Amino acid sequence: MLSVFFGEMQGAIYNPSLFFKNSYTDDWITDDLSREMIRDVDQSTVIGPRVIDSPVLGGISPRELSGGVKTLIAVYKRPDKIFNASACGDNCAKWLLTIGEKMDVTVNLRHLMDFGDGEFTIHILNTDQLVHTMKEMLPIAGMIVG
Amino acid sequence: MKGSYQISVANGKVKYDFLIRRNLTIIRGNSATGKTTLVEMIREYYESGESSGITLQCSRICRVLSGRDWKILLDATHESIVFIDEDNDFIFTNEFSEAVRNSDNYYVIVTRESLPNLPYSVDEIYGIRNSGYYAGLKQVYHEFYHIYGPFSFSPVFVPELIIVEDSNSGFEFFGAIGRDRNYSVISAEGKSNIFRKVYEAEAKNILVIADGAAFGPEIDRLVKLSLQKKTVALFLPESFEWLVLHSGVLKQGNLQEILENPEEFIESRDYFSWERFFTYLLTELTKDHYLRYSKRKLNPAYLNEPIVERILRQIEKIQLT
Repeated sequence: MLSVFFGEMQGAIYNPSLFFKNSYTDDWITDDLSREMIRDVDQSTVIGPRVIDSPVLGGISPRELSGGVKTLIAVYKRPDKIFNASACGDNCAKWLLTIGEKMDVTVNLRHLMDFGDGEFTIHILNTDQLVHTMKEMLPIAGMIVG
Repeated sequence: MKGSYQISVANGKVKYDFLIRRNLTIIRGNSATGKTTLVEMIREYYESGESSGITLQCSRICRVLSGRDWKILLDATHESIVFIDEDNDFIFTNEFSEAVRNSDNYYVIVTRESLPNLPYSVDEIYGIRNSGYYAGLKQVYHEFYHIYGPFSFSPVFVPELIIVEDSNSGFEFFGAIGRDRNYSVISAEGKSNIFRKVYEAEAKNILVIADGAAFGPEIDRLVKLSLQKKTVALFLPESFEWLVLHSGVLKQGNLQEILENPEEFIESRDYFSWERFFTYLLTELTKDHYLRYSKRKLNPAYLNEPIVERILRQIEKIQLT
């Protein structure tokens, strides 16, 4: 399940891109879910563990992926850590939910991410509540973050 | 620093063109839109100039601020446009806020988070979008777009409740014109209370009136709340004082010129946000006038029917009278 702590959180990794840069291994990139997330968010194709084809930047290394997709992969590959998911845009929200369906992960959100119009299950750690829609999440999260 | 600055930065693959017109600009939005690429290009051009392979056109120095030594770098930076990427958590500190308040630079900050210590405008929060290839060349062209607004209403919005950001003259004005009408007017007593007031209100149609010049830190949650609670409307002029100045009740000097291009007259070191400048301007222009303005207590002359009518004329598609 995806758990979220809203607001400033001691111990959370504020700069997931930096963590990714110094931690990723080849298999982080070639994993099927990583490939899907890179294709969807960055609209780029994994050619191999060290080469990704970006429609804008050409051939890039994993280090040049977007901050959002690097954060998603870090959340997925290191569920023992808590990352600042405000490094992710709203186009990453569905992937946080997907990761949360596969395993228990906790992220720190310091803004109001839009999880879309559909139903989901998110555990809000600040209040120990389960929410299933943005309508349920908004009054809780909106009182904590701007 | 004052004025507006067109910035054009390009390498062999991407090109950005945008205009900066206030001391504080925020960039946010989806991942993979080129925010970090832009900041990196600014950094590389600042460090290596044209030998970086990047071209940058701007009449001011553009540079990047990052890392633990940000304050030392900032102390040595003047009359420049300073870019800060989203991985710098010093932007949330009071120390940074104070440094910005007293500085003669403009700042472009990449963040999705609210920065309550900084009074940025709802009009200066941008996303970046890819607009395709530039004039048939190989570069992909990126432009800025406003994330929030315009806030328009159709058909005419008829409020049951008006929540005004402040508790001073602006609130007194709207409170007075709302008397004996079919809506009530309350003060939120500060912009950070508006979200709670709106959420807790039971009225059907709620109008929020706040100073757009400094409402940036609150806009995201208010817009999201208004999407859920379908009957919330936002009216966000620069400030109540701007509304008065813009209404035409005063005709002095170069007022029209100032209102058309405020950025050419507002020195960032003196005015942390434009609302403060407009308060100063209205106070100055009316000091020997029957409309002598005080932010703390509304001069009753502002409630004369012709003055009220002129001020309200600017509030389109909202029925207040």
